[in-house]
This record gives sequence, C-alpha cells and structure tokens, in this order.
Amino acid sequence: MTAIRTNSLTKRYGDSVLAVDDLDLTVEDGEVFGFLGPNGAGKSTTINMLLDFVRPTEGSATVLGLDAQSETDEIRHRIGVLPEGATLYDRLTAREHLEWVIDTKGTDDDPDAILERVGLSPADGDRPAGGYSKGMAQRLGFGMALVGDPDLLILDEPSSGLDPTGMQEMREIIADEADRGTSVFFSSHILGEVEAVCDRIGIMNEGRLVATGTLDDLQGELDLGAPISLEVESVPENLALEGLDGVRSVTVEDGTITATCAEPSVKVDVVRHVADATTVRDIVSEDVSLEQLFNTYTNGGRKEDAATTEVTA
Amino acid sequence: MSTLDVAKKDFLDVRRAKIVWFVGALYTMFMLLLVYFGQNNRPDPSILNALWNLTAVGAMFIPLIALVTAYLAIAGERESGAIKYLLSIPNSRTDVVLGKFVTRTAVVSASILIAFLIGGILTLAWYPSPEMDTFALMAALTVLYALTYVAVAIAISAATASRSRAMGGSIAFFFITSVLNVFGPLQLAIDYLLNDLAGLEVSLNQIMFVQSLISPTAAYVNSTGLAFPDGFNTIPPNLPWFLQGETMLVVLLAWLAVPLALGIWQFQRADLG
Repeated sequence: MTAIRTNSLTKRYGDSVLAVDDLDLTVEDGEVFGFLGPNGAGKSTTINMLLDFVRPTEGSATVLGLDAQSETDEIRHRIGVLPEGATLYDRLTAREHLEWVIDTKGTDDDPDAILERVGLSPADGDRPAGGYSKGMAQRLGFGMALVGDPDLLILDEPSSGLDPTGMQEMREIIADEADRGTSVFFSSHILGEVEAVCDRIGIMNEGRLVATGTLDDLQGELDLGAPISLEVESVPENLALEGLDGVRSVTVEDGTITATCAEPSVKVDVVRHVADATTVRDIVSEDVSLEQLFNTYTNGGRKEDAATTEVTA
Repeated sequence: MSTLDVAKKDFLDVRRAKIVWFVGALYTMFMLLLVYFGQNNRPDPSILNALWNLTAVGAMFIPLIALVTAYLAIAGERESGAIKYLLSIPNSRTDVVLGKFVTRTAVVSASILIAFLIGGILTLAWYPSPEMDTFALMAALTVLYALTYVAVAIAISAATASRSRAMGGSIAFFFITSVLNVFGPLQLAIDYLLNDLAGLEVSLNQIMFVQSLISPTAAYVNSTGLAFPDGFNTIPPNLPWFLQGETMLVVLLAWLAVPLALGIWQFQRADLG
C-alpha cells in the first residue's frame, strides 16, 4: 500500500496562476517524506488537495489508498494533520481542543499524556489557546495531529514558530512515530530540518516536482557546492581566488569575500589563500540554504526538459 | 454523528463570546421596558399592546441578534484557518454548516426564550389578564423568525471566504429585507416593479405576499395574526389565504430551509486555500 499517490495532479487558479503542475508523487507506506520548496512553490496547495480543502483542476490523488475527494471521512479517521498557518480556537483551552479531537475521532487517548508528549504543562493545558505563543500553539496543533495513533501524519511546515529546542523535540516525536510504522509527510522550506529525519525528499519549485530521492543523492546530483564567507580588512587586488583548485565561483561585496567550493574540504584552502593576502576578521561557513539550492539548480546551466530527476536510493 | 461533535465544540466556543450575550441582554431589556411601561400608570393595562410593540421593536432587532451571533460562524474560521483543524478530523463540510447552525440556533433561541420567560413572569405579576396563549405563541413565532436570519447568516458565512465579506453580505441582507421593509420602501419598490414597470395590476394583498417571500421580516409581521385575536390593532380582518398566518409559517420555514441548503451547496464547492 502507498501512503500518498498523486496522478497528474494539477491546480490552476484562474487562467494565469498554475499553483501545481502535473504532479506525480508517491510516498511509500512507513516512509518519512520531506516535501521541500521555497514559499509559493505549491507545497501547501498540494497538501490542501490531499486533504480535500482544495479541489484539483485535473488529476487525482489517493491517501492511504483511498480517494482524496470521495473517501474523506475514512481518510480523516486514519490521518493526523498539522495544517499550516491555522489558528486555534482562542476561547478554548488546550485540553478542550484535544478532547474535541478525541471525541470526533472516537478514540480513547488521554489528553494529559498528549500534552506531556508535545511538551505542554498541565497548567498550559487549562489556559485558553488565545494566550499561547506561536510555538505553544504549534505544539498543541501537533498534539491534535497525534490523536488516535494515525497511520499517516501530514505536517505542513511543522517547525514554524518553534525554537531550536522545540524543533528538536518535534523531530524526535516524528522519528518515534516513524519507528512505530507511521508514514510521515511533511513540508518545509528549511533544508537542514529534513536532513535528520527524512528517508526521502521531494523538491517543488514553481508548481513542479523538480527532484525526488534521498538527501545525499540529491546533494550529489544537484552539485550544490559549499559556500564560505570571509570578512576582511581590505579586499586585496589580484586575489585570483577563482584560480584555486575546487573553487567554483567568487563574489566580493563590502569587504566580504564569498567563495563557493566544490567540496567542503576546499574551504580551508580558501581561508589560507585569503589569509596570506590580507587580514581576515571573521569566517562564516554556512550550509546551503534551499534558496541557494534552487538558484544552483535552475540557474546553473543544469536546466533539463525532463524536470523530474529520479534518484534511486 | 459528527454534526453534533462540531456543534458541541462550537457551543463551548461561542458561549464565551461576550458580544452574543450583550445583544441578547439588550433584547431582554427592551422586553422589560415594554412590559413595565405597558402597565405603569394605566387604568386598564393590556399585555397585548406591550407584545404588539415588542413585535415592532423585534422586527428589526431580532435579525440583528441572529446575524451578530451567526455571521462569522464559518467565514471567521476560513479567514483564521481554524477551519483546517475542523476539516482535518472526521467532519464533512455538511457537518460543519449544520453543526454551526445548531449551536447558533441554540444560543439565539436561549436568549429570546429567557427574555420571554422573564417578561412572562412579570406579566403574570402585573397584568389583570396576562394572555399567556398569545405570549407563548409570540415567543414561538419570534424564535422561528430569529432562526430564519440565523439560517441566512450561516448561508452567507458559508459562501464567503472572509470576515469582511460575510459582514458586508449580512448588513446588505439586513438592510434590504428588514430596514427597507419596516420603513416601507421595499413595498413601494415591489409595487413600482410589478405595476408601473411590468403593468401586472396586482393588488396590495398580492404585493404583501411577494414582500413576505422576499423578506422574513414581512413574513414574521404578517404571521402575528396567529397569536393575536382577530382584528387586533392593525391586523386586517378577512385576509386572503396567502396572507393567513399559516401560510406565513410555511414561508418562514422555507426561509429556514432554503438558505441552509444553498449554504451547504456553496460550501461544498468552495476551495479552502
């Protein structure tokens, strides 16, 4: 059985906006799938179609083997959802939220156990959600998704509003759920976030699925490069950093030199080379952001007509 | 039965909304004032006059209670995104519309019945002939009248994606069907359209029937013949069948069912992006 399958799923708004374009996506049972893409790439629209909030213009989708449009009741009994950007009911307490979900799903979960699991104290549980911080609201929303031990979790930008500790805790719960055999489908615009938990990722851009595969495979396939920035006292002329072996490109801006290296190990050569020529004030070595990933992918001369790069794991 | 699950949660939520209780309390206050001044310093006080005046006040005030209680029921949740929580668990869109209707109905009915209950107790204490039959019938008609506007507000709320549109739609509907009806332009407009423009030569009674079809307020006012004695005040004797109270009941029931059906239909087609 597949957790999620879409066939030529397409959503058009009016004549001009193509939010999701001919999407063919398969998430296997028991898999943790990271659904990546910059804001506006069509991730939320795709999730909204899986949940029957939005109706596809063309194509179809199944969730747990059930038709996403005609078998919504059964689907909603068996999945847990953390929607994006949804507010809770200001006047209801966390416990009332959970009891409501438990009643509607007809399960026998213990609200207190769920509160504890997502890191909310019993005192928090008795306060109206209107007074919650964004992080607390996100924890409660996640708790509501966990009610009834769902077969599939659909989490739309689950880490938004969470501090690093909260993100870490959420990743641990996702990993726990995956160990219990739950399939997880979650969207994010932060590449680093999916690294730790995902079996496989798919990348959306401008409504199209541009790549699917394991993260390692994709990074190799996309050939992202590793950026390093050096803040210098003065930018020396004739630096000739581009000539260095393994340096792919160099930009200079306001006393900051940024080099993109083919391999992370080249970074140290860059630092040595620049330090020989001038005084280095600071070094910033970052992971590739998803935006950079897309820039690399779409502007780096790697445009392929077959937009989907399937990388076998 | 997830309509009831929606309703149960929504009732927890809406009962804590202060504005709803505020307008309900205002109506109770009107009731108390009218019942009090209906007997104060009068040699032969009649509760029928007080109730008649209450009908006139209620014709415009009851829709306000209903609209304020219900117009945000669905549109508010669409704007805030809370609707996604509601529909992520086993609730259908029909459950959402019907569940919201049930709770808003309960809240509006409760506030009207409390007003009539308090008014009724004072009437028993203060008036020589309390006319409890008329009192009870007026309470029932007023609740039914309020529910037609709850149904309309829920329908508007189901068909709009934002608070501002739901509010705009509700105010427009209120203005045309209640304000313009009470102050007369609605009747004049129908007369002008049917007689002057279309040249159909319809009678005043027929115009009043069309008016009742267009405006629940008109249907409510015309239905009060069921509660008051024949010929009381301005109720004309010898009304044709289509203006009789029983017919008006059917019209009011239609005003309840048709908007709800349209609301469900619209909401089922909507993209909740």
